[in-house]
Amino acid sequence: MNVTAKLRETIRELFSADKVDVFLAWEEGSLPMSSTPLFITDGAQADRAIFDPRCGNNLSVYFTKDSRQFRGKRVGIAVKGCDARSLVLNIQENQVLRDMVVIVGVPCNGVIDGKKIRRRTGGKQVTEVMENGDSVTLKGPEFSITLDRSEVLSSSCLRCVHPDATEYDVFLGEARAEVGNENRRKALDEVEALSSAQRWERTRKEYEKCIRCYACRNVCPSCYCSECFVDQNDPQWIGGTCDVTDTVIFHLIRNLHVAGRCVECGACARACPMDIDLLLLNLKTAEEIKKRFGDTAGIRIDGRPVMAEFREDEKQEFIMG
Amino acid sequence: MYRLDKGRFDEFIRLLGREYRTYAPVRTAGRTGFAIVDSAGMIDTDVLVTDMSPKEIFFPPSETLFRYGRNGIKTDEVPERPIAVWGIRSCDVRSLSMLDRVFGSAVQMPEDDRFKDPYWNHRYGSSLLFGSACIDPSPTCFCNWFGGGPFNKDGMDVFTVDAGEYYLLEPVSGKGQEFIGGLACLAPAGESELDLVSAIAAEAASRMPEEEDLKEAGRKLSDIFDEPVWSELSAKCVNCGACTFCCPTCHCFDIQDESQGSEGRRVRIWDSCMFPIFTREASGHNPRALSKERVRQRIMHKYSYSLENYGEFLCTGCGRCVLVCPVNLDIRDVLRRLLHYRAEGKCNG
Amino acid sequence: MDNSYVPIRMRVEKIAVEDPERNLRTYDLAFEDEDAGKRFNYLPGQFCEMSILGKGESPFGIASSPSEGDLLKFTVNRAGSVTGEIHYLREGDAVGIRGPLGNWYPVEKLKGMNVLIIGGGFAFTTLRSLLVYLLGSRGDYGDINVIYGARNPDLFIYKNEIEEWRTREDMELHLTIDSPVDGWSGMTGFVPSVTGELAPGQENTMAIVCGPPIMIKFTLPVLTELGFPDERIYTSLERRMKCGIGKCGRCNIGSRYVCIDGPVFSLAQLRNIPEAF
Repeated sequence: MNVTAKLRETIRELFSADKVDVFLAWEEGSLPMSSTPLFITDGAQADRAIFDPRCGNNLSVYFTKDSRQFRGKRVGIAVKGCDARSLVLNIQENQVLRDMVVIVGVPCNGVIDGKKIRRRTGGKQVTEVMENGDSVTLKGPEFSITLDRSEVLSSSCLRCVHPDATEYDVFLGEARAEVGNENRRKALDEVEALSSAQRWERTRKEYEKCIRCYACRNVCPSCYCSECFVDQNDPQWIGGTCDVTDTVIFHLIRNLHVAGRCVECGACARACPMDIDLLLLNLKTAEEIKKRFGDTAGIRIDGRPVMAEFREDEKQEFIMG
Repeated sequence: MYRLDKGRFDEFIRLLGREYRTYAPVRTAGRTGFAIVDSAGMIDTDVLVTDMSPKEIFFPPSETLFRYGRNGIKTDEVPERPIAVWGIRSCDVRSLSMLDRVFGSAVQMPEDDRFKDPYWNHRYGSSLLFGSACIDPSPTCFCNWFGGGPFNKDGMDVFTVDAGEYYLLEPVSGKGQEFIGGLACLAPAGESELDLVSAIAAEAASRMPEEEDLKEAGRKLSDIFDEPVWSELSAKCVNCGACTFCCPTCHCFDIQDESQGSEGRRVRIWDSCMFPIFTREASGHNPRALSKERVRQRIMHKYSYSLENYGEFLCTGCGRCVLVCPVNLDIRDVLRRLLHYRAEGKCNG
Repeated sequence: MDNSYVPIRMRVEKIAVEDPERNLRTYDLAFEDEDAGKRFNYLPGQFCEMSILGKGESPFGIASSPSEGDLLKFTVNRAGSVTGEIHYLREGDAVGIRGPLGNWYPVEKLKGMNVLIIGGGFAFTTLRSLLVYLLGSRGDYGDINVIYGARNPDLFIYKNEIEEWRTREDMELHLTIDSPVDGWSGMTGFVPSVTGELAPGQENTMAIVCGPPIMIKFTLPVLTELGFPDERIYTSLERRMKCGIGKCGRCNIGSRYVCIDGPVFSLAQLRNIPEAF
């Protein structure tokens, strides 16, 4: 039985056993190679659910986006490894009650970034997609392109080390623990090799594309301040223009606000209409946090977000000199 | 109709550049948008719907309204050369006509100068638009829902068709005729070239999706204003502004001051009805505090209110919002669902 | 070409503090440029964007009446950074305004009619403009009846003028406060219920209502109950605004824009506007 079939069965069972009021999953989207979030309220709708590499949305965002939406409801949710980490973080931060969620882990081998496909096809109509091991063939009325999977996978997935949920009630298959991934190190090496001038140049180049639509922030389960600092207008903290001096402040501060909290799901980068590489900075920050505190965001359900905790044995050289 | 051999395209763009600041689709760092070009080589001639719409030429994401300092207030100098746009698609040309109804003057008081937006009018009023036929419409194109089409010429000064080896140029407005009339790099088109255009047009039209009947849309949407369907539809929206910022007709903006010491500027920047802060008042009261209310506002504004105010939809069917929505809340599905919604609370769409 | 985004330069001529907490101040502004003053033609109910360079703009109803002369009057409640900055202004300082913006109370229609003015709190600004305008050509109108409510006696604005209006015989003024206070000789109770108690007649009468949204919301049904037809009830809406000229989209409700189609609407119009209240 494939994962989609197992997922549907699990959803049906949860509803018939009256264990959930709502179940969050994905369904077929309106575009080729797309999916869209699905809110299931009745076991009979379970057959709309899917799970495959199209299912990029981190559904944990719906817990924090509007906390009223699920108040008092028992919510089931399908999660990839990264989505589960978001949920764990939200539980650690008391945004979600563990007892009120039923976590269904799905085995993930990476999700597709629609923008990468569009770039390769020039926006032409893709009518058929065939996956064959490590290659993906995209077919349209007048073309057929075969690409390596890595060319269409989300950049976050290419660097992923936690493909499967660490916290779940049901797992549809065998959950893998942390896996090795040299791409992650490679990306870090690349950025660490840059001089500070080069780093700035790169940062500037990426963030000057920003149009301030805040899609990155709004799809991020870790970004749930009831009023984001960019929205505060009395007093106003940062300028609202698309000049790079303003956009870079937004992105750098957001990066710090999700330090130790970013689960590297890549939802921000996939959501960005301007195709900004939003991941590299977060990756670097996560690595720094791991080096300094030995923590990775959203792994241990009994843990605390690293930046919200003080340990006596922490390195304190920045205070002590 | 005139024929412009592609071998002379660069010459044409340079000629245009003498009189106009010429914008055209350009690809930078993987994304496409309109930028100033001074040679044909800079132009991305393949892109159909650019990532960013040409509204950014006439209504930039952030724009200085005026600067202030010890010596009072000063508006920026207006560049002398007017704007020309090459390679703008039919849907985008229409979006500019729609924006002109908002910015050009006030529909309530068309003659009153106080309601004419000087920044918009300086740019749009003297512009020369070379519209581009869509040979190969994309699966997200639905301009035909709104009376558009891949060969629609509304609002263009010159209509152009990419016929492979050459472009065909057809003057649409007097201004367009005046510019291309005497150009040496153009030759009158012959019978066979015109036949080719008809063939391309027929092929393009066949690729358009089935039309949705929107005749009653304005009334239907008003009728279901209070129905629960809006909550269902908006549940997955995360209220970012990607749709509104990529939209060629969305035009809401904010005005902010930036200052350093006693000097500074007042800027207008794109804003979005999707953001909670858009309508929140100083008292903290927010007339559209819920996501549902904001999604409804966007839909109502485009497909009902604008119809009442301007006699047309504030949507051209360009499909950009369909492409950029991070949760695939496809406006075509939303419209279908709303228009087929029955007030009994059932959806047959 | 006119540029409606550029403010007109004004000089603060006089500042009056309206309440003991010093949160409400009234500013009389004079035009620095005489021509600009001549071109500035307005009627009661219109508003301006008051502009503090470096801080931004806020909309305020014009509290003066065109019948009074060349000074423009605004009453500003300190709430945010722009209004806070306005409160720092001193007499003689420069300040910008954009306007006159929006529509006005139906002063033409009021001719020959009785007028019932209902106001609350510091939103009495444009109602002051209207009242002064009507009193300026008193013979053109029938009875003038004013109901004005505030949370407590300190929060009425234009206290000196209130004293004068009280003693006039050609108008009636009913003041009310939310809850009893020692030494208060006026009425007690919220504006909607006081309006119901006073039960002003609707015959040949136009009702003009302006105040906090909650007051308006509960007063309009009282007027309807008293027999006022929707076409003879006018109110002024408040929405967040930026451009003031119908472009920026912020104040859009239904197909209308509060900044140019309003802020004054009849109840008949509002019934067709979703989200009006």
